Parts: sequence; C-alpha cells; structure tokens
Amino acid sequence: MTGGPKIGWKGRSSLTAWILGTLTVIFLAYQWLPILTLGLLSFSGPTGGTTFPMNGTSFHWYQELWRASVMNDFKPPLMRSVLLALACSATTVVLSVAAAQAMRGQFRGSGWFFYLMLLGIMAPGILVGFGFAILMRLIGVELSWDTTTFLVQVSWTLPFGFLTMLAVFNRFDKRVEEAALTLGASRLKTFRRITLPLVLPGVIGAGLFGFSLSYDEYARSMFTTGPDATLPLAVMAQLDRQLTPEIYAVGTTTTIFSLIAVMLCTVAFWAMRRSTALRKS
Amino acid sequence: MDSLATPLEVVARPQLDLELRGIRKRYGDFTAVDDVSLQVAKGQFVCLLGPSGCGKTTTLRCVAGLEEPDDGGILIGGKEVTKDPPWQRDIAMMFQDFALFPHMTVARQVGFGLEMLKKPKAEIARRVQEVLKAFEISPLADRKPGSLSGGQRQRVALARAMITEPRILLLDEPIGALDYSLRETVMLELKMLQQRTGISFIWVTHDQNEAFSLGDLVVVMNHAKIEQQGTAEEILQRPATAFVAGFVQGNNVFHGRITGTSPDALQVETSAGRFYLPRPVRCTPMLGDAVSFSVRAERITDSLSDRHANRLSARCTAVEYFGSVRRHIFERPDGQVLKYDQFGAYAARIAPGQTVQLGWLVEETVLHTGAVA
Repeated sequence: MTGGPKIGWKGRSSLTAWILGTLTVIFLAYQWLPILTLGLLSFSGPTGGTTFPMNGTSFHWYQELWRASVMNDFKPPLMRSVLLALACSATTVVLSVAAAQAMRGQFRGSGWFFYLMLLGIMAPGILVGFGFAILMRLIGVELSWDTTTFLVQVSWTLPFGFLTMLAVFNRFDKRVEEAALTLGASRLKTFRRITLPLVLPGVIGAGLFGFSLSYDEYARSMFTTGPDATLPLAVMAQLDRQLTPEIYAVGTTTTIFSLIAVMLCTVAFWAMRRSTALRKS
Repeated sequence: MDSLATPLEVVARPQLDLELRGIRKRYGDFTAVDDVSLQVAKGQFVCLLGPSGCGKTTTLRCVAGLEEPDDGGILIGGKEVTKDPPWQRDIAMMFQDFALFPHMTVARQVGFGLEMLKKPKAEIARRVQEVLKAFEISPLADRKPGSLSGGQRQRVALARAMITEPRILLLDEPIGALDYSLRETVMLELKMLQQRTGISFIWVTHDQNEAFSLGDLVVVMNHAKIEQQGTAEEILQRPATAFVAGFVQGNNVFHGRITGTSPDALQVETSAGRFYLPRPVRCTPMLGDAVSFSVRAERITDSLSDRHANRLSARCTAVEYFGSVRRHIFERPDGQVLKYDQFGAYAARIAPGQTVQLGWLVEETVLHTGAVA
C-alpha cells in the first residue's frame, strides 16, 4: 500500500469512522431533541407560552398539573393509561409466549394463524378502532377503557410480542428441553426450569412492547374508550381546548416515568440473572 | 431375513434391559425406522452403526420417548413403555452437542435429575459432590457451560446423565463433538465406566472404529432397517448383506448369479469371472439366484497355489502404505475394484500400472445370506 498507515480489511479508515460517527450523532439528536425541547419548555415561567422564548423558568406548570381542576385533571387518565398498559403488557406476554410455543409445533393451519396474527400490525388503527366500536354497539356492549379498549389494544400489541417470541424460539436449541425431559422433568417442569429462563430476555421484550405500544396508543382508543379517557385522549382533548406548557409537563413526566420503569426492569433482570448465577445446589 | 443375526445365543442372560419389537416410524412419506427389532441384555454395550439418515438416531429417540413409534413395542426392563413419556422411563440420554443447560451451574445441572426425583436437598448436594469428584470435575462446580472446554462439557453431560443411575444410557454420537486427540481416551473411559456400572449403553455412531472397538453387540442399519446385528467379529468376518460388506472397511464385494451347486459349494458367475463359494448351512440358494458375496482385502494373495480356486487378473492403480499394512487398489476392465492388503514390513512387490494374478481360497469367500443382491 502506498501512503498512510496500512489498514487491515477489518479496520476502518478514520474518514469512514468520522462519517459514520456524525451520522449516528445526527440520528440520535433527531430522535431526542424534540423531547428535550418539550422538557425544556415545560419549565418556562407562569406567563410562558408554548414556544421559545421561555419567559423565565419555574415549576409552575408542574404545580398546575398537580392541583389540576376537574376540566384538565390528567391524573385519572394517567392512572387509567398505566393500568391499561400494564394489563396489555401482561396479556401480551402470556399470549405471545403461548402462541409462539404453538408455532414451534407446526399445527394444521399454522401458516394462516401466523398471517392472521400479523394482521394486527398491518390493519390501520383508526379503522380497527372504528370497526370495533361499531361491532360493540351492534351487540350492545358498553364502551369502556378497561374492556373494549383493552381488547383492541391487545390485538395491536400481541403481534409485536408474538414476533419477538418467534425470533427468540427460532434460535432456541430444543435439545436442552429434550435433555430435561430425559432427566425426568415433566413438560411443565421443563418449561418452568429450562425454557422460560432461557427465553426470559425475549419475554421481557414482549412485555415492554406491550406496555409502550398500549401506553401511547391513540388511534385505536379514540372510538372505543367511552366516557373515561386514557392519557393520549386527554392530552389531545386538552390540545383542542387550550395549548399551555402544562401539556409539556405531562409529556416530560410520563417520559421520565417510562425511563424509570425500563431501568427498573433492566436492573431487576440483571439482579435475577446474578441470583440464579450465584445460587448453588 | 435369515437369522444369522442371533447374538443373544451368545449372551445367555435371561433378563433384558431393552427390547424393541418391530418398531416403525414414518414422517409423511419418509420411513425413518422400519420394523426394527432388537434385544439388549442386562449391562450390554450396544452400538447402532450406519450412515447418516439410516434411522439410528430416530431409533434411539424412540427408546428415549422423544419420538413415538407408529407401530411396534418398546420394553425397558421387561416393562412396556411404548406410550410412556420420556420422564417416566428408566433412561438417560447424552446428546451430540451435550445439550447442557446454559443458565445452570455445573453442580446444579448435574443435580437436576435427582431434583426431579424430589430427593432431599442434603442428599442431592452429597451425591453431586460425589459424582463431580468421580468425573474429576469438582473444580468446575460453580461454572456455567459457556466457559467450559469440549472435554469438560462432555464430562458434565455424562455426570448429569449418570447421576440417577438409569437402567439404560442412550448416547447420540457422544464423542463426535470432541477433538480427535481426545476421542481414544474418552472411548476407553466410557467403556470402563460402562463395565463398572453395569448400565446398558446404547451408542449411536457412524464411525465403525467406535462401534467395533466398543460394542458387545453392533447393529448395522441402512435405509431405516437393520441390515445385520452381531459381534464385531461376526460383522467384519461374515457380513450378511452387500451393504454391510461395502460399509465396513476392507471388503471386496461381488455381484453375480448362481450357475452351479454341489453339496458343499456354489459356483457364481460375475462380470469379473467365475468364483466358488462354500455352500451356506442355513439357506438353500437356487440355481439362477442373484447373489452377492465378499472377500476381505487381507485374505487375497498374489502368490497363488493350486488351492486358490478363486482367481482373477487386475491392474494395480494405487498403493497406499500405512506402516503395518500396504493396501493395493486394483481395477478391472469390467469396472470391478479390488483391495488387497499385505501385512508386515515386506518390500513392495507390486507397483501401480502392473497387471497381476490375484486369488483367494474358497472358504474365505462369504456369501451374503441376509439379502438378495
């Protein structure tokens, strides 16, 4: 080679490294700057608007959020959304593990089952929600966030969990299960002691999908929720009425809560890994 | 099939650890195991030998209960278990890549079998200690499989399978994943372990050296069926079918038609000439029957006398020297290939390109009575 230090085929020139690095930073900024902007504006003064400049800094909008009036109280919708997301998450975990397990055994019509499951991802949410609402009215079911919305949202979150679990089981060595069976473990014991611990990262992934997809779902909730709104619906309603930095405070608070939840999950996961690693017979 | 294959006459112990009665397993149109019957005496070392896809692993999985045969019966220790799930059978299995539990420490997975038997914790701990010590893996007790070498994994897998002292240990290519240099040692260790414990081993392999050096009983399978079962000597010296003769090393296989019979000999016409065979005791070949026969490479000679009734001439195409044996490869214009092994450190007598008269004795010729060629 002439000129410059020789780079192995696995190495990378400093120019490539710079270009890739810059692109990565731009991408991350693109992803996070809007959230940071909202976060920043949520601390603007009592006379502050929803754009720059900030007109001072304060916790005013967070205080507003806390002692909200009946009209714009975000706490009940927040509560509902969190409960709904937890329920969706739990349901997604159980159903997606079960469905992916079923797919491992190739049953009659498993091909159709696969595509029908994925339909939940492809179908436009607003139509699904609307159609579901019409159907419920037809058979005389009262619309409510904890029944109809729950069902519609699970149909949305389940395929994501299902795909996650399929990918996990795809790389799963079924001979470790067979080894357990020949060592005297029943199918249930094998699932509990061998299968589940090994696919746990995927299970947690499916649970996170279930939570986050449900938590900020708007389209599917719009027609199916009934009188008691979830958080995204309440926020949209507030946007229609009056735009204040209080909305930003809501967004920032929930983002922080989500981050804390994810961190707790991660920490719990590592702790569990460690404890099983250290446990001796 | 003629019953040349009756190894159990040799082992006259009444109780059987395993009996397969005509088991059959189909996957759609593909027949993986076809009418396989087998009797394993107490404490016997059985090797299932055959090329890949011959059904030996499926047979093993049927014994383990991981597959359910479509037809036939399986008895373990005299008890019918055909429909029983794996966890209710008195067996353990060692898998090809050992199938260790990646999330469990060595100690924990070795104790897994006892844990499933709901043994008291203290007893499990004590037994695990003992077994780890016996297999010389005590220092690995707290490690996970990911950090172990191939040889260590093999020991852990073996310890895990043996701790419950099953009646039968099923081994699917148990040393296939090991370094070549380790295999000989491990083979010897396993053989000694088997003899010491008296547990029946059923060992699946495609490697005939493994099968013949380890097995009290060798079962050769091909195309889902048992071709021949017997001791290593029986299979090496008296192959029952053309497949077995061709599959085990060192046989020359011929195909032809019976053109003459006498009370003690058969005359067979092949494309390579006319040959004479001793008349088999147990079956009655008819004039005109298509047959196959074989002669071992070390039974052939190039220093012929009047006694060598079977003769042919062939051109030497290659000579391979292995130290204790010199192997000559011959070819004839009719396509027949011949191997001729010369033992001892004699100087080379035949060079490639030479055409030589070869011959062998009538009694060295083995008619394949197990199948019609």
